[in-house]
Amino acid sequence: MENLVYIALFAPFVSSMFAALFGMSPKQTYVGIIASMLLFVSFASSVTLAFTIYTTGTPIHVTMMEWISAGDLTIPFGFLVDQISVTMMTVVTLVSTVVHIYSIGYMDHDKSFNRFFSYLSAFVFSMMILVMSDNFAGLFIGWEGVGVCSWLLIGFWYHKADKTREENPSISPSWAANEAFIVNRIADLGMLVGLFILYWNVGSLQYDVVFAELPNLSGSVLNAAAIALFIGAMGKSAQFPLHTWLTDAMEGPTPVSALIHAATMVTAGVFLVIRANPLFGMEEVAGVSFFIASLGTFVAFYAASMALVERDLKRIIAYSTLSQLGYMFAAAGLGAYWIALFHLAAHAFFKALLFLGGGNVMHAMHDELDIFKMGGLKKVMRGTWLYMGIASIALAGLPIFAGFYSKDAIIETAFNEGTYLLWFMLVLTAGMTAFYSFRQIFLSFHGEERYKAFGFHPHEMYKFVLVAMSPLAALAISAGWFMDDFKEFVYKGIPEYEMSHHTHHIAWLLGLLVVVVALSGIILAYYKYARTGAKAFKRDEKVEESFIYKLLKNQYYVPKFYEEFLTKPYAMISEKLWTTVDMKIVDASVDGIAKFLYKTGDSSRKMQTGNLSHYLNWMAVGSVALLLVAAISAMLG
Amino acid sequence: MIGLSHYLIVSALIFSIGLVGVLRRRNLLMLFFATEVMLNAVNIAFAAISHYYNDLTGQMFAFFIIAIAASEVAVGLGLLILLYKKYGSLDLDDLANMKG
Amino acid sequence: MDNILSVLIFFPAIAGLLGFVVDKESARAYGITVAAIEFFLSLWLWFSFDATNAGMQYVEMIPLIPDFGVSYYLGVDGISLFIIVMAALMTLIGMMSMSITKNVKNMIITLLFLEMTMMGVFVALDAIIFYLFWELSLVPMLYIIGAWGGPLRVYASIKFFLYTFAGSLIMLVGMLFMAYVYHNLTGVWSFAITDWYALVLPVEYQLWLFAAFFFGFAIKVPMFPFHTWLPYAHGQAPTIGSVILAAVLLKMGTYGFVRFSLPMFPDASVMMITPIAILAIIMIIYTAMVAYAQKDIKQVIAYSSVSHMGIIMLGIFAMNAEGISGSVFQMLSHGIVSGALFMLVGVIYDRRHTKLMSEFGGLATVMPKYAVIFGIMLMASVGLPLTIGFVGEFLVLLGFYQISPIMTILAGTSIIIGAIYMLAVYKKTFFGPITNEANKTLKDLDRKETWSLIPLVLIVVWLGVYPKPILEPIDNSVKAMLVFMEEKAITQEAKDVIIVAKSTEGGI
Repeated sequence: MENLVYIALFAPFVSSMFAALFGMSPKQTYVGIIASMLLFVSFASSVTLAFTIYTTGTPIHVTMMEWISAGDLTIPFGFLVDQISVTMMTVVTLVSTVVHIYSIGYMDHDKSFNRFFSYLSAFVFSMMILVMSDNFAGLFIGWEGVGVCSWLLIGFWYHKADKTREENPSISPSWAANEAFIVNRIADLGMLVGLFILYWNVGSLQYDVVFAELPNLSGSVLNAAAIALFIGAMGKSAQFPLHTWLTDAMEGPTPVSALIHAATMVTAGVFLVIRANPLFGMEEVAGVSFFIASLGTFVAFYAASMALVERDLKRIIAYSTLSQLGYMFAAAGLGAYWIALFHLAAHAFFKALLFLGGGNVMHAMHDELDIFKMGGLKKVMRGTWLYMGIASIALAGLPIFAGFYSKDAIIETAFNEGTYLLWFMLVLTAGMTAFYSFRQIFLSFHGEERYKAFGFHPHEMYKFVLVAMSPLAALAISAGWFMDDFKEFVYKGIPEYEMSHHTHHIAWLLGLLVVVVALSGIILAYYKYARTGAKAFKRDEKVEESFIYKLLKNQYYVPKFYEEFLTKPYAMISEKLWTTVDMKIVDASVDGIAKFLYKTGDSSRKMQTGNLSHYLNWMAVGSVALLLVAAISAMLG
Repeated sequence: MIGLSHYLIVSALIFSIGLVGVLRRRNLLMLFFATEVMLNAVNIAFAAISHYYNDLTGQMFAFFIIAIAASEVAVGLGLLILLYKKYGSLDLDDLANMKG
Repeated sequence: MDNILSVLIFFPAIAGLLGFVVDKESARAYGITVAAIEFFLSLWLWFSFDATNAGMQYVEMIPLIPDFGVSYYLGVDGISLFIIVMAALMTLIGMMSMSITKNVKNMIITLLFLEMTMMGVFVALDAIIFYLFWELSLVPMLYIIGAWGGPLRVYASIKFFLYTFAGSLIMLVGMLFMAYVYHNLTGVWSFAITDWYALVLPVEYQLWLFAAFFFGFAIKVPMFPFHTWLPYAHGQAPTIGSVILAAVLLKMGTYGFVRFSLPMFPDASVMMITPIAILAIIMIIYTAMVAYAQKDIKQVIAYSSVSHMGIIMLGIFAMNAEGISGSVFQMLSHGIVSGALFMLVGVIYDRRHTKLMSEFGGLATVMPKYAVIFGIMLMASVGLPLTIGFVGEFLVLLGFYQISPIMTILAGTSIIIGAIYMLAVYKKTFFGPITNEANKTLKDLDRKETWSLIPLVLIVVWLGVYPKPILEPIDNSVKAMLVFMEEKAITQEAKDVIIVAKSTEGGI
């Protein structure tokens, strides 16, 4: 079994190194194929491990070697495969395998094809370290590792020039990449502090040691640690106010958005909360957990509201990711860790599918992303239409599909906990989710064929790409059916959470309500966007001029606010510190001392007239002065 | 009765005269005279104090000073003559070659 | 080879003297050979070093002026060992990558003399010998900046020389006073550092002596507000000068704190934790912001050096093994990474004869290999896990957290603002379209440049993944020093701080 753990972990690494060998040479299709095969190996090992854990129920724990050891601190490279991590491993490797195969088709014409696979596999490797590590420091390696890979991949098309925010809200790929990295670093500092708190109070960073020691710690320590770790989670999972980078990250190639910014990396924050559930589940940190749930709910609603008016295909999906992350945090914050984990997995499948479908559309439309310029694409892209339709239904949470089970459980949890405000918000958001996802489907695939006016000639994606996407489609439909099995499986590693009797009783009613809300969202979207002919969708100038519309369109002016109140002042203060403080004060005072010495010498040089008489006068002055000094000191002493 | 203090006052006066000469005069020869005056003022003080303490060391020292002063004048005057031959003047204002 | 340390010091010096008779054409090959032999000697020292022994090894002692207790006294422990290896390595790599064409022979000889002084500083156990090499190291650097530097070279080199010289004179006064006190208390003269360690001083004396040594070391580090010589020196120095200056010479200051200030004045050091930590935090944040405002790539890296040295200073005063070991490790890491970054800037300067960021943009397209290596070094510089930069930074912040959580969080902002200026440089230089015609035909790294940078890349990754072989000996010596400090401290407060700093119970 130990070997399988290493194979699952290092297959992506080998893949990345292999692709890196050809990083600077022109496209080699076999690089993509071999990378995909290695990823599949990793997936197969993960599934085998999952099966083993399922049958035996005992986690596998391996220690590879010691990493850092100084003072009393010892950090090994240790890997823990238990119910939580094996779920993540399976999800991550499955989605990455599909995305790798997809990328062979999608990146077909890109001259940096090989480099892309190198980055993509490196990302999977980092993600595997993140989920498999048996200690917080190892988690942090993966945490930063995925950050760097995300930086590389968002900025993959680094050669694009910066544009103004009006032209392109993300400015440029390299700008978006830097933003993502720096925002994540802010959160990482919080995470580091969390590590320090735990280390100095427990003396170790190993999960098992830390969790065993938690009951002996004081409430303030627990709260501080929980807050610090959650700040880390906020950055990676793009929770408000560190959320702006996620939509800008859509500058990266679409497979990247599917893998990193939907299915895996952004769920790392949720994973952290689930992984540290012994901490977040403690009585003493109930306040923090409730804050997590509230923030999650707020973000779910907040992101969904911005998606309502967005015209960029990928940004709509990005907002929906943000919104679904909010759902996951709501569940985790309310103590329903397994539901959060289940939604995480289900979301990974249908959101990756949605993004990959979006990628097909983008490919067909020659990188045009404005859904107002599409419409009626169903005729030419039937397969993609089907996939995106499935994914959107799953996202909207209609029965039978995956999202229905997981999202409904979260909403039910909010009801069960008696947090009715959260429940109401989540139900409302579910309706908005249904509306914006079908708005996007209807605008791009139904209605008038607006693209013809812009001279596009869309075409369907390669067959093998569509085939590769089918596992995701199957899971987007069926993942929910295995909810009870999943529950049984993870209950061995996660605190149980069951609905109260009362909630259980009216669960069908709650479910029905959500479905009705979602359906009305879809129907509204249909009436507004899907019809053809005289009733076809037309842009409404008056709505677009309204304050609410502008507010949503400008993301509540948050990016603008950051630019005006953080970025620009930072640059200005830096400039001032350099030109004024460093040059004019610190350096000038040093030079001042030197100049003073020089000036003193220069002015006393005038005494040197060359006239003996003057010298004699000075000599007399000197002697008198010395006599005076002697006399005074004699008098004093 | 003339005591030690009278001698010292005379010596101090003569020294001051010499000092003023050193400070005010521009002619090198005059400077020489002024230094001689100062040396002799010191000699007076030496002799007087020597007498006061009944210790001959002071008078011996005065003799040494006289001897040294004499030889110094001998060398110094020689140099002055050479200087005068070279520059045609002994005025210090004309001899300021070492201006910094 | 019991006198390996003397060999390490004098081999480059003698080779440098012989260098005068070497033919001009072969001077470069000669220099590389000598530096390589020296590097292998230092490796030999490492491999034969007993990692379990925390004390001084390979001790050599020859009395020079017995009446005043001055002797030729050398030794090496876990703290100095790796700085020696790094100094030898960076000299070798620097010479290999050197692109100077003017007076190559003089440069080689100067570098070999510089290597002698560096070795001397890190192995000396006698204060006078230490001071001797400390001051001697200024001369070759003065010559390197003054003779091969940019347009402001004379100003920069004289500023460098006078500034650090003024600081070291104050340190010399401190040393003389220390010896005088030693004489008063024991009746014999001694300048041996190990003898000084044993001397228990009243707190008042400790404070004065700490201050005297502080000026010498702080200007060298350079700590805020004594840092302004550094941007000029780096800005004007030729690439090789910047590499050695950043990699090794700056480490003399921080090494001095570990070798002298902490064990000799434990009470004063504990009392000075807060003021020094405040200076260190200003260094970290302020210079990182100043770095962001720079227009010249080399200046960015120069200011970033100051910022990173702030982390090292903070770790030294963490008073626990995590922090101090992390600090020593960070010295090595900063040496390798900043050295490599300066070499990388040198690469582009050789091609375009400018270092202004506005002149570049889109270089990743024409110089992919260069961009990759620059990227790796950048990531090491911002402290990415599994690169060399993370280990030290993590340990330092972890260690100092026990002293003060708030100050650690402030210092920890370095991981954010460090990323800001570094990524800004990378974006402006490597990303975007190629706007400048002159950049369209740039050549990627040639063989010489590649082969001098690849070893550094390997070290960056190796020590990031497996720092143990280096961290262990450092940690042993640091632990021994801390035990010693705790015993020696005379005030109860100092003892308490040292005990609390290493306990893993309590605190937030």
